[in-house]
Amino acid sequence: MISVRDVHVTFGRGTPLENRALRGLDLSVPDGEFITVIGSNGAGKSTLLNVLSGDARAERGTVEVDGIDVTRWPTPKRAGLIARVFQDPMAGTCERLTIEENMALAQARGRARGLGAALDRPRRALFRDKLAVLGLGLENRLGDSMGLLSGGQRQAVSLLMSTLAGTKTLLLDEHTAALDPRTAAFVLDLTRRIVDEQKLTALMVTHSMRDALDHGSRTVMLHEGKVVFDIAGERRKAMDVPDLLRLFKQVRGEELSDDSLLLS
Amino acid sequence: MSLIATLGAIEIGLVFALVALGVYITFRVLDFPDLTVDGTLPLGAAVAAAMIAGGVNPVLATLAAIVAGCLAGTVTAWLNIRFSILHLLAGILTMTALFSINLRVMGVPNIPLMNRPTVIDFFTWLNPLIAAAGLPARPTLRVLALLIIVTVIAALLARFLKTEFGLAMRATGANPRMARAQGIRTDMYIYVGVALSNGLVALAGALFAQTAGFADVSIGTGTIIAGLAAVILGETIFRTKSIVVAVFSCLIGAIAYRLAIALALNAGWLGLRASDLNLVTAVLVGIALMLPGVANPLRSLFKRSAP
Repeated sequence: MISVRDVHVTFGRGTPLENRALRGLDLSVPDGEFITVIGSNGAGKSTLLNVLSGDARAERGTVEVDGIDVTRWPTPKRAGLIARVFQDPMAGTCERLTIEENMALAQARGRARGLGAALDRPRRALFRDKLAVLGLGLENRLGDSMGLLSGGQRQAVSLLMSTLAGTKTLLLDEHTAALDPRTAAFVLDLTRRIVDEQKLTALMVTHSMRDALDHGSRTVMLHEGKVVFDIAGERRKAMDVPDLLRLFKQVRGEELSDDSLLLS
Repeated sequence: MSLIATLGAIEIGLVFALVALGVYITFRVLDFPDLTVDGTLPLGAAVAAAMIAGGVNPVLATLAAIVAGCLAGTVTAWLNIRFSILHLLAGILTMTALFSINLRVMGVPNIPLMNRPTVIDFFTWLNPLIAAAGLPARPTLRVLALLIIVTVIAALLARFLKTEFGLAMRATGANPRMARAQGIRTDMYIYVGVALSNGLVALAGALFAQTAGFADVSIGTGTIIAGLAAVILGETIFRTKSIVVAVFSCLIGAIAYRLAIALALNAGWLGLRASDLNLVTAVLVGIALMLPGVANPLRSLFKRSAP
């Protein structure tokens, strides 16, 4: 469960570049719900994810995950509750380390790391089984450097890694934006499978209105650091991309001018 | 080159193998270019020499030197993490302070350790073996004792880097943002890593004092470049992904480097003197960094500042 109440985040306060990224954002995601978040550039999508993961701090308001107030927790402490897949395939994994080492790092998320071997036979077997599900042949490349993998392969492994520690909350930060359309479709499909199977509470930021409507069960749109609309159920099912744009115009009384949103 | 000179080169190579391991931890594992070591090597020598000269058991004196080195590393990490001082500058600050501290520890600029007990005495059981092989007794004993100590430490380090803790330390250097997202408290790993690195370098200093037979405030100059030279040379000889091989390649690199230096100094036609060592080292490391394709530890200096 995620609960964000009246969160404010300002970057560069008191400077000419002051940016009020979030301005009293409220959002509540019940257990097991998969929601998609859209919004134009600067709407606050990434800041929302950063406030949840701990990379940005809320200066006002509270952030709760699974009923625990994590507003003041640093990123590593939150990792026991939250997993995250980054937009940049390079960001979510260590390219200098091997596939199995990356997975071992993720598996230990949220618990103490001791002086026991990071990798052993049962762990390797587990990682091999998990990788085999991807159907990319990576189960035979456990010892390869992460840097040898393509962006799509790395995102697929990142997704697997996000599930290894058994955390129930998953943050997806435009995690298919850097991929070609076919790979993006594969990673999205994998995302849906993982979220369903593990009954995760997932929050997916996307630049694509199409993807936002096609995935999950609820879509929220951010604008100027606030939620402008929040649609779910039958109403959402009946909607298409032009309907979203119309809704935005209706709510805000202005045209959406972001090309990236109109084109996708 | 004479046998004695060769043994001498291997001996100093083994001491600097510990420096290379320390430099490997900061530059390669943590991506934290730490220059404290120019002060930590004489610190280790100073602490060990002052204590041994004062009648303390050499093992205790050596352990105290390691602790002193760890503390020096902790100061550098603290300056960087707590106050966001650039890691290079943080290391230089500590190194500068250490010069005065080392003089305070020793009381005099030079402490001779001739005919004092040293950790090497614990290896005299090797003497019959050395005598049977017909090798010069004292120099060979020093080389074998150092070889045993350094090999054990390298094996422990390689093993450590394969533990969950060690893997988290490697992730801290490789991708700090990802590490934090995986629940790794990167600050803590930087503290531990930089302390460990300087502890190893201080141990090198302590062993230097006990094998060379003296401690001097000036022995630290060029330590970091000599350590880097060993790491680079090792990496050039063994191009590897394996962390175990990488750790041991630091050892081989350090020894090979000292042998090469000894050969160069021995070749009379080159006209080199022992005092030219730092110039030769700097030029060689400089050339190594200019060469294309050679993995370049100094690259990290320009990559990022405090995390």
